[in-house]
Amino acid sequence: MLSSKEYERLFPSLNRKINGHNLIYLDNAATTLRPKEVMDAVNDYSLNHHANVHRSTHTLAAEATQMYESSREKVAKFINADNNEIIFTKGTTESINLLAYSIATSKILRPDEEILITTMEHHANFVPWQQVGKIFGLNVRYYNCKNGIFNLSEFLDYVSEKTKVVSITGLSNTTGQVIPVQDLVEAIRNIRKEVIIIIDGAQTVPHMPFDVKKIDIDFLAFSGHKMLGPTGIGVLYGKKEYLEEINPFLFGGEMIDKVSTENTTFNILPYKFEAGTPNVDGAVGLAKAIEILENIGMDNIQEHEKELTNYAIERLKRLDFLTLYGTLDESQQSIVSFNLKNIHPHDVAHMLNDLTGIAIRSGHHCAQPLMSELGVKATCRASFYIYNEEKDIDILYDGLKKIWEWLK
Amino acid sequence: MVKIGLEDLYTDIILDYAKNDRYKKEIPDALESEGKNLSCGDEITIYLKVEDNIIKEASFKGHGCIISQASAAMMCEYIEGKTVKQAERIFSEVIKMSQGKEYDEELIDGMDIFSDISKFPMRTKCFTLSWHTLEDALKKEKGS
Ligand SMILES: Cc1ncc(COP(=O)(O)O)c(C=O)c1O
Repeated sequence: MLSSKEYERLFPSLNRKINGHNLIYLDNAATTLRPKEVMDAVNDYSLNHHANVHRSTHTLAAEATQMYESSREKVAKFINADNNEIIFTKGTTESINLLAYSIATSKILRPDEEILITTMEHHANFVPWQQVGKIFGLNVRYYNCKNGIFNLSEFLDYVSEKTKVVSITGLSNTTGQVIPVQDLVEAIRNIRKEVIIIIDGAQTVPHMPFDVKKIDIDFLAFSGHKMLGPTGIGVLYGKKEYLEEINPFLFGGEMIDKVSTENTTFNILPYKFEAGTPNVDGAVGLAKAIEILENIGMDNIQEHEKELTNYAIERLKRLDFLTLYGTLDESQQSIVSFNLKNIHPHDVAHMLNDLTGIAIRSGHHCAQPLMSELGVKATCRASFYIYNEEKDIDILYDGLKKIWEWLK
Repeated sequence: MVKIGLEDLYTDIILDYAKNDRYKKEIPDALESEGKNLSCGDEITIYLKVEDNIIKEASFKGHGCIISQASAAMMCEYIEGKTVKQAERIFSEVIKMSQGKEYDEELIDGMDIFSDISKFPMRTKCFTLSWHTLEDALKKEKGS
């Protein structure tokens, strides 16, 4: 890991004062801070090389196309995929919507087959399946995470010969529970080989090494802005055979092969899924972000966050006015979710901001089914990234004590 | 300019109102209106007992932060005994205050402990939730 001085240089926001305090950014599950280098790369593209991609034959167009495609290559290498298996989207939400619609319109499911999701999902991996299920008459089953905790063997009771699609988060954006994806995939395939396994990697890919071939998943969705990249860029990885099989989601320019009044045939992968002018700025920024993460090392990032999470759990456990959610063991990473007795999370978040300069999130975290499982309407959520340190958690600890004294 | 701090928002009066359960109840056979802040998951139900165009009784149920709870309790206290028309005017002045605009101080005398809410844009919607729900209830009353 780098030193805090180096992080302050990389991330201008870290030099900000919030109400007289140094900013401590613990809202990384929502979005991460921006490195200057990423914005420099985007600026350089915008100011010197910008043109539309894949269309024109002039120099700028060639440069833009080259930059866009080399970003794709970078992303592919990062998760060990092939270039044509990487589709650029707006983010995780769009990736999963694309998949849900494409799978539904491709009539991949027999009438008795099922889509299986869980109650720990972010709405982005919950609502699209539920709604597509309603629109297209597909069966959607929900595995209930009791007390908000995923249990692999209980989950596997839901997997049967009828299961055709499993879509699940790799890491809960509320409790920080890490799903044992490798074990999950092996176990599902033992029950039924041809299940399409989709991982919502929004909270996974930014925080640990992820190899789609080794884990053998079929689809992976993630967002650039949760891993130092710009907003408005995300990724859908899909196994070639499936991407070839399913219908495109958006129709229009660039995704076509031959168009006539009678019919249209579609472009080869990945362009079949990238209708319209893509977000080249975003792709260029994301590639730079990945470069920064690779230089630090995904293994190091995971280890750092595990240590921080552990430290946070151990410290916060000592506060008897506080309830912590989740597994509270080594299967938790990057995120701690908690509530102060009888105090609403908004009050806590606002006070932490003004009293200590700490930014956390308060609310339902777009995971209302999980909130009902936890028996609450909202929680406070502190989420960590590369630039956070134990000192930040000490300040959080002191801040929470102060707030409790004030409001109890 | 005087700096506005947390103490100006979380005053003792506001904390007292948030803890005060007097107005936190259902009123049977009352006019009901529900309001939500979708992004934070806060919900509130306002109950109004209106007779001869006068708000005889007001109360609320629901959950939310200190600001929203105090605002709801204070609102119920404030509008009890007022006519529907007066309540509408009070609503519109309160909303102006929450937006940092000029408002009729006399008409909402006492509500000024919330006059700094406009300096906390992230919390304004906590404060106004109960008021917008009231507005909705008043519309229902007029429609009935
Ligand atoms: C687990 C999970 N899935 C999906 C999303 C949605 O990501 P985006 O808003 O970038 O599309 C998020 C973001 O909070 C998330 O945490």
